[in-house]
Amino acid sequence: MRAALAIVEKELLELRRSPLLIASMLSLPAAVVAVPLLLLAYLARAAPDQAVDFLRELYQMPESSSRVAALAAVLARQWLPLFLVLPIFLPILIAAQSIGGERERHTLEPLLATPVSTLSIVAGKSVAAVAPSLLITWLSALVFCGGVDLIVWPSLHRPLLPDFSWLFGTLVLCPLLALFGNATAVVVSARVLDPRAAQNIAAMTVVPLLGLLVVQLAGRVSLSAHFYGAFALLAALADVLLVALAVKLFDRDALLTRWR
Amino acid sequence: MPAIEAYRLARSFGSRRACWDVSFEVERGEVFGLLGPNGAGKTTTLRMLAGLTAPDAGSARVAGELVEAGRAGSARLRRRVGLLTESPGFYDRLTARENLRYFGRLHGLAAHEADRRGSRLLGRFSLGPHADRPVAELSRGMKQKLAIARALLHEPEVIFLDEPTVGLDPEATREVRATVAQLAAERATIVLCTHHLDEVERLCSRAAFIAGRLLAVHPVRELSAEGRRVRVDLSSAASPEMLAALRAVPSVRGARAEGAAIVLWLEAAEVAVPTALATLAAAGARVQAAVPLRDPLEEAYLSLLAQARAEGLPG
Repeated sequence: MRAALAIVEKELLELRRSPLLIASMLSLPAAVVAVPLLLLAYLARAAPDQAVDFLRELYQMPESSSRVAALAAVLARQWLPLFLVLPIFLPILIAAQSIGGERERHTLEPLLATPVSTLSIVAGKSVAAVAPSLLITWLSALVFCGGVDLIVWPSLHRPLLPDFSWLFGTLVLCPLLALFGNATAVVVSARVLDPRAAQNIAAMTVVPLLGLLVVQLAGRVSLSAHFYGAFALLAALADVLLVALAVKLFDRDALLTRWR
Repeated sequence: MPAIEAYRLARSFGSRRACWDVSFEVERGEVFGLLGPNGAGKTTTLRMLAGLTAPDAGSARVAGELVEAGRAGSARLRRRVGLLTESPGFYDRLTARENLRYFGRLHGLAAHEADRRGSRLLGRFSLGPHADRPVAELSRGMKQKLAIARALLHEPEVIFLDEPTVGLDPEATREVRATVAQLAAERATIVLCTHHLDEVERLCSRAAFIAGRLLAVHPVRELSAEGRRVRVDLSSAASPEMLAALRAVPSVRGARAEGAAIVLWLEAAEVAVPTALATLAAAGARVQAAVPLRDPLEEAYLSLLAQARAEGLPG
């Protein structure tokens, strides 16, 4: 356990001293938060009636609700899947380097020459990738929810977010998806020598979720609480399988002697 | 009980045999050389003995811990050995001190104990003034000394040094060799993996010659005891008087006539050659040239290598 803690501390110290990596980790969440808030602020103040009518029709917004509140509710519902992309994508930026990066820096052999167990290495590196990613995701969600509430407050006089879906999404689904993203990256980087290739391959796992977002934005489906519940169960199952696979693949001998 | 007993170790990668039939023993406090050309299986052997990879066949006992076929050495083995890897490998954004603290903690030391030992080793290897600089700013030689410090941090019983001077400039090479010599003087058990004969000659008591399989184990001191050899070409055949005069020179161990030349065995060539040449001139010889011959270790190495190539081994 002490060894795993040492790995976490070292990884976080390295992250703190990598301003470019931090910037790349912050850029996507910043866009995910800023774009919908600016859009909502614009729609609330200056959107032509035709545009609002189109949105009302597309997303079946209730006629009775105020224009701003209805737009915000639709936006909040549609935008949640994109926030679920963050906890998958962000750990990949760190974790894909976890083995390939060690190999590239020639630190893998000194690391494996220590008595630290495979489980401690995987656990330490996973916590160090998941923790900052979750922190950034939660902070982004907080800013987004606060921003939406600020915009709707004058017409609604109460906060709109977080609702149940957002609480479930950020507090239950995000950690499960962060583990999924991290474990995928560890598994891929244990098999792929080039850390950049590992990062790209692991990042492909967000594609289905992005597809879901696009389908929902197109008004084809509306993701319900049941959907998110089933999604959480699936993510938990995938996590267990992937973590087991990551520990199995993190074989000292194979990591040192495989060359392709 | 020897510090290392390796018995018929073998390892393949796919269809390629990296090494096989590698058997030797290393006594406690001995500096043992593992000598061979690139690709001869030295690093593979070292990795098996250090508990990183598993042998396909054979077994070993290192610092009392067992290495068996199909199973890499245990965490207990890795705790008892120190490994200097061929590339130093550090986290560039961390300082020298932080790197040592990290590896110390991975070896089970508390952070303050790792710091205490790290500071002592940094001082010992003249890295104290650079302790709080990021490793990225250190020279290759400094990194190599830092890597030796890392290998010693947990006070291992056996130290494996894989090509400690490869890629270093002459000054850094000298410093690293001095560090290894210092460890040898402290009676540390060291396995030195290299293809530099002079390194083996200076530092090791015995050397194993490896080219895929183990070819031979030679006592280096005995080979070195034969001294340096120089051939002196004369304008005419050497007379018995010339040989007698040469044998009377204190730093000349022996002299043998070979046609119009004399082969000398010398203790220290740089002192003995001028004296021997002056003696020959005084005895009436006309010296045409003095040519240093290969030393016995080099002779042994090259003849084993030739034998290995003849057998189709990776020489």
